[in-house]
Amino acid sequence: MPPAGDDGTGVISPTSFAYVADLLRRETAMLCEPGKEYLVEARLLPLARSAGQPDVDSYVALLGRDPSERAKAIDALTINETSWFRDLAPYQAFTEAMLPPLLEARAHVKHLEIWSAACSSGQEAYSLTMLLRENLPPGWTARIHATDVSTSMLERVRAGRYSQVEMNRGMPAQRLVTWFTRAGNEWEVSPELRSMVTTQHLNLAAPFPPMPVFDIVFLRNVLIYFDVDTKRDILRRVSSRISPDGYLLLGSSETTLDLDDAWTREAAGRVWMHRPRGASPAGTAARPASPASPASSASTTVRATAGVAQSTAPALSQTGA
Amino acid sequence: MHALIIDDSKTMRSILRRIVTELGFDTTEAGNGQEALDALEAGLVPDICLIDWNMPLMDGYTFVTRVRADDRWRNVTLMMVTTESEHGQIVRALAAGAHEYVIKPFTPDAIIEKMELLGLVAQEVPA
Amino acid sequence: MTVTLEPSLGDVHAVVEEVWSSFLGAEEPILPLATPMPPGGWSAAITVSGGWDAQITVNLTDGAAQAVTSTMLMCPVEDCSDEDLRDALGELVNMVGGNVKSLMAGSAVLSLPLVGHGDISPGSHLVEVCRLELTWRGEPVVVTVHLPPTADPS
Repeated sequence: MPPAGDDGTGVISPTSFAYVADLLRRETAMLCEPGKEYLVEARLLPLARSAGQPDVDSYVALLGRDPSERAKAIDALTINETSWFRDLAPYQAFTEAMLPPLLEARAHVKHLEIWSAACSSGQEAYSLTMLLRENLPPGWTARIHATDVSTSMLERVRAGRYSQVEMNRGMPAQRLVTWFTRAGNEWEVSPELRSMVTTQHLNLAAPFPPMPVFDIVFLRNVLIYFDVDTKRDILRRVSSRISPDGYLLLGSSETTLDLDDAWTREAAGRVWMHRPRGASPAGTAARPASPASPASSASTTVRATAGVAQSTAPALSQTGA
Repeated sequence: MHALIIDDSKTMRSILRRIVTELGFDTTEAGNGQEALDALEAGLVPDICLIDWNMPLMDGYTFVTRVRADDRWRNVTLMMVTTESEHGQIVRALAAGAHEYVIKPFTPDAIIEKMELLGLVAQEVPA
Repeated sequence: MTVTLEPSLGDVHAVVEEVWSSFLGAEEPILPLATPMPPGGWSAAITVSGGWDAQITVNLTDGAAQAVTSTMLMCPVEDCSDEDLRDALGELVNMVGGNVKSLMAGSAVLSLPLVGHGDISPGSHLVEVCRLELTWRGEPVVVTVHLPPTADPS
């Protein structure tokens, strides 16, 4: 239980929590189950204070008549804590297990279409653009289509600007200086990477707008917010937007297996790549990345996840001055 | 695993010490680059140094150049933890041989994730 | 002609917000409200010199200063010595000042922090160009940026 504040604020009341859960479900189809009261309290309290309200209950009371606060509240509740190259292993799978067979299979078009679904503020989409710029052969293009239910998040993706605190999260320093420049108190992604990303408003729980067929779909850590029937429905609709030889990546603890038998899965390191049933297994099995950190010789706890960070970054040399 | 924490602020050293101790590291502290270098010369072999930039006697940048110039310490990971956050400063530090760079202010997650990137900490599979 | 550049209030606010939310804001955020600052209290100042000259100061009441120290050191207020307060407040202004410095063009150098009980008034020749009045845990926190006056064209 969160500690009561100095001014006696406790946890959100059951009525307010029910209102918020209902609002979230109506606007985004996401679920906010009992047990999450502390999270709602924590996420809404700063908004309450900024709006001049003494506590979350008073703040929730005004949400009904204030659309702008409602939008802020929804954003605060649905934002996934994101870091760059989150969990590392999926990005390693992307570079080592998905790209090589796709580079062969798409050699006649030299183009890749990738969907970052529930993209939030865009760290996943831009992480992928960096890996693409580092790994695509000359003459190839790629497009990351970033979608989210929140229009303010999509604006953030288009702006490509992140705070210092956000940039600290999982971004190798070499990539930071290669792909970002300072803009006020923030860091802004290079126009080159920004040009690889398109954005679109999309509610996963609703019918999809017209979209291309994708080679790779990242649908990570968002299905957990939906009930079982909605999950099944989303997966069914995703399967119609993915190439027969494409790849679907879910969150580390997520799987389609109990939901939809239209998928098979292949291991790539610690990660499961979901494939439309009937896809040929991707080339050779994924090799574990070799540890590349300077401390690897001494450590018995080294995991083979340093490969991503050490992949060659263009432009800047670290040798000498 | 051992971490050498180099910062002229006792407060910042204690914040960093708590974070890396949670990760299972033993720690040594130094108040400036010279003290840190003395510790290395005396035989300390840290797995990682967390290094502030602006310190009296010897700053963090100079410490990095001195460590990277000496083959005895080629396996020591060097991570700057500093308010110096201009693009050019980070480029300079990386060119001098720093392996990673954390900008102050930071959250514990930031340090932990950088240590994972460096292969010094096993990654936790998220719940 | 000397062009005096100053950081925007919004950017300085963002810097202070980030420092606070990273180390101090777990239970209560720092709010954009002005609360009257009683006399006394603590001042922590840092100077920037070189490509840009400025002094950045953080003023806090005894209560806020003790809360900052106790939170950052994770020890009870009664166990925090004056030396602990000086160190914690010094690091606080180091982080605020260092990030404000990085907002400005040109390469400049950050001094070591100067912390005192009671007001450290910036030199009388310096001009206040930015004043942020905030409230944390009901106590005022004031952050100011002072610059040398603009040189007159000769």
